[in-house]
Amino acid sequence: MSDWKRHDPLNRNPATARSSALYRAIGLGSAKSGAHHWWVQRVTAVALVPLLVWLVASLLAHARGDHQVLALWLGQPAVAVTMAVLLMALFWHMKLGLRVIVEDYVHADRVKFAALIAVDLVCLALLAIGVFASLYLAFR
Amino acid sequence: MLIKSSKQVSRWRTPKRFPVSRNSGASPASRIEPGVSWPEPEGATRVQRFKVYRHDPESGKNPRIDTYAIDRDKCGPMLLDALIKIKNEIDPTLTFRRSCREGVCGSCAMNIDGTNWLACIRSLDEISEPSTVYPLNNMDVIKDLVGDQTHVLAQYQSITPWLRSKTPAPAGHERLQSPEERKRLDGDYECILCFCCTAGCPSHWWNGDRFLGPAILLQAHRWLVDSRDEATGERLDELEDPFKLYRCHTILNCTRTCPKGLNPGKKIAEIKLMIQQRRS
Amino acid sequence: MTTAKLRPRSPDVQIYKPQLTSVLSIVHRMTGVFLSLGSVLLVAWLVAVVDGGDTYAMVERWLRSWIGLLLLLGWTFALFYHLCNGIRHLAWDLDFGFELRSIYLSGWTVVAASMILTVLTWTLGLAVLE
Repeated sequence: MSDWKRHDPLNRNPATARSSALYRAIGLGSAKSGAHHWWVQRVTAVALVPLLVWLVASLLAHARGDHQVLALWLGQPAVAVTMAVLLMALFWHMKLGLRVIVEDYVHADRVKFAALIAVDLVCLALLAIGVFASLYLAFR
Repeated sequence: MLIKSSKQVSRWRTPKRFPVSRNSGASPASRIEPGVSWPEPEGATRVQRFKVYRHDPESGKNPRIDTYAIDRDKCGPMLLDALIKIKNEIDPTLTFRRSCREGVCGSCAMNIDGTNWLACIRSLDEISEPSTVYPLNNMDVIKDLVGDQTHVLAQYQSITPWLRSKTPAPAGHERLQSPEERKRLDGDYECILCFCCTAGCPSHWWNGDRFLGPAILLQAHRWLVDSRDEATGERLDELEDPFKLYRCHTILNCTRTCPKGLNPGKKIAEIKLMIQQRRS
Repeated sequence: MTTAKLRPRSPDVQIYKPQLTSVLSIVHRMTGVFLSLGSVLLVAWLVAVVDGGDTYAMVERWLRSWIGLLLLLGWTFALFYHLCNGIRHLAWDLDFGFELRSIYLSGWTVVAASMILTVLTWTLGLAVLE
């Protein structure tokens, strides 16, 4: 589960390596990034606090779920824009969060890169579909 | 229950561990096997048992859990006293680090009843019966309770834990600090590098090869806030990395476990804030 | 080097005692993953509204089935938990509430608040449906 010294990035250190402990601790050095990821995750989190409260309250108000009423409500400009913003914040936040989870637990580089690409593309696809749906209701 | 200080032992005895089996994910050499039970002391009214992780590198066998029992009435008050008693009177092969026996040196850090603490300042009144004693987590075991700290110490070296100054030292006296500047090192300089926090950090379990861990990041903070150090920018550059720094997910097992009552989690948050401060 | 290769790794998650700190953290992560699945439903629901009465009725029927209701209950709790604990994390990010006492107090508050909000939401929701 945590045999990380045996999962070396791109096999820089074969089992027979005589490299120093310091060489291994430095690894590939600093990526000099991460601050942007941290910032955007906080920005989207702050945005999602009121947006999700709004979503829960609105869904409660429409719990009866009459299709006509719902379509009309979602078609109002203010609602459509709010929903689009919510989806943007949500999927951006989700992308960043899932990325960290993949990086935490997946250590084989090729699998990890594939998973990271999948996370990005799935989030992008869901965002596109969701935003299109809410704008479609506004413009029809 | 509400915990007010890291000294406090939770009264909740359960759950003892997460729902994973004792050997899940362990490499073949790391699998723990059943060990032996040593005879109990005769005529004792207060018996304390210890289930201790044992590994003898020369035997070529896997680690095992041995059970020892001591008479509380014939033993000193602390867990370290009990371990020394076991080594003296029952099993001289039991191996552990110890030095100051008063919580200053950090040598006897180990996993006691599932959390990390110094054996010399953990009272026998505070441990469970039977109690479990393991080496610090996620380290290559040299023998019994002695973990190999080469990697965490190399991580310490990698953050250049020394004064990096460009201004020549003033002639005739040392580099001066005001009392306020000196005060900024409080909560950092007390760290004794026992690695209770790093060994108890789940993020360091999964990514310890790249994540620096709470102890080293606390030390990094110590040099970031030192008024005599002139490499703050370089230090932040070296730390700003998705793994070296940002693997910290503020789980805060570190703050919960620190035997010196320090707050590595808070210091790491302050490093992250410093990085944001210089961006905007 | 040969002995170093044979050294066992000491156990970590297998023996470390679960504490409020680590348990709330892993629950935050698990609710996050669960909510990611919920976001697929949110998009599907929007698409169903666009698609019209029949598709929407189908989604609606599925949501009103016992498995749908159970999942909705799970998503409600996950949402409130992730929201409350997220606010706790935002406070930490601003360097507030790092004393051990505050960590535990805010932790238990999050547990209680997310449960209360879940019950409240479902009471309201069922009242609307009546």
